[in-house]
Amino acid sequence: MSPAKPTKQIVLDGLWRDNPIFRQILGICSTLAVTNVVLNTAVMCISLTLVTALSCLTVSLLRNWTPRNIRMMVQTLIIAFYVIIVDLILKAYWPEMSTQLGPFVGLIITNCIVMGRCEAYAGSNPPISSFVDGFFNGLGYSFVLLAISVVRELLGMGTILGFAIPYFSSPYWDKWIIMVMPPGAFFVLASIIWLFRSIKPKEVKK
Amino acid sequence: MRDKPYFAIVYMFVVTAFFGSVLIGFARLTQGRVRANEQLSFERAIVQAFPEIQYKNNLEIHQIFTEQFKKDDRTGSFLYEQNGQLAGYAVPFSGQGFWDKIEGVIGIAPDQRTIRGVAFYQQKETPGLGARIDEDEFRKQFVGKKIEDSAEPIGIVPEAQTPADNEVHAVTGATQTSVRLETLMNQDIRAWLDAMQNREATP
Repeated sequence: MSPAKPTKQIVLDGLWRDNPIFRQILGICSTLAVTNVVLNTAVMCISLTLVTALSCLTVSLLRNWTPRNIRMMVQTLIIAFYVIIVDLILKAYWPEMSTQLGPFVGLIITNCIVMGRCEAYAGSNPPISSFVDGFFNGLGYSFVLLAISVVRELLGMGTILGFAIPYFSSPYWDKWIIMVMPPGAFFVLASIIWLFRSIKPKEVKK
Repeated sequence: MRDKPYFAIVYMFVVTAFFGSVLIGFARLTQGRVRANEQLSFERAIVQAFPEIQYKNNLEIHQIFTEQFKKDDRTGSFLYEQNGQLAGYAVPFSGQGFWDKIEGVIGIAPDQRTIRGVAFYQQKETPGLGARIDEDEFRKQFVGKKIEDSAEPIGIVPEAQTPADNEVHAVTGATQTSVRLETLMNQDIRAWLDAMQNREATP
């Protein structure tokens, strides 16, 4: 069992050095699907961050009892449990958002980031540190998605969070409709991966 | 106990029972609100089937629905009344779409022919393709069309075809959704037409 990483390292890994989106290219399906409007993206990000953090915590709490050969089943069960709770909360208290996100809340279950963190980290590390790891991987996912959605909503609709932005919502700006359609997601995602990967960390030499 | 071969099975049962029970409890807790939301989206679709009705918020939708719409048990539709006068029929329709159930409402004028509007309250078609049946662009096409007193009261035809008086253009790239939507709408509109004719025959 590898010793738990110091918290600062977990935070930096999750947010930047091992960022799930532009380093590991995980969880891309929701990246492409829900990033055309900032508000939907924000709700998706909060849901995913909560699910990842709490699933990691629970997997870690049960790690010493869970038999190795059925650990995947247990992890899936735990993840599904939290996702259903999030889905129910949205259905009950924010039905409009629930309809807009449609199947994508349920699909968090299959998001590779959640299972990836449970399997790679939470399964062999103490609860608090696993929670932090899940939480910051969720945030790492969130900030990339929010960046993508800001670009898409601004260029595609001239608004951010539904508020009209000067110039972009004026007739001078010819709205790039393709940005709010699925192909727009591919263009922006690729550009962002390119941009972030070309920012080299300073202490790269070992 | 932990090195026994059956431990994994017992463990899985216990864990599943635990998380399952918590979920059932939680679902019960939110059930009331979820039901209320579903009812509200149904009422919203009924009101939206008549595009001239103005409303500001959900409360108003509920008010309009309870005050101006009366369930007609004999035909399964809702009678829209304005100042005591019949102003239209709201006919619910539902059936299997491409992925999941499609449910909606069609608003028909008192002449029992002219379509006033169409609204959906449940559909899980492919986002960006089939799901676009819920967009104004598609729904607005129905306004002013006349349903036909035949086996196929309405039609959804491909973009290349010029729509007849009872037809609208399909959503491009959503053939399966369009075919199924046409079938399920026709079934329920036909059933409503039959019920109306029976009702007039037997006073």
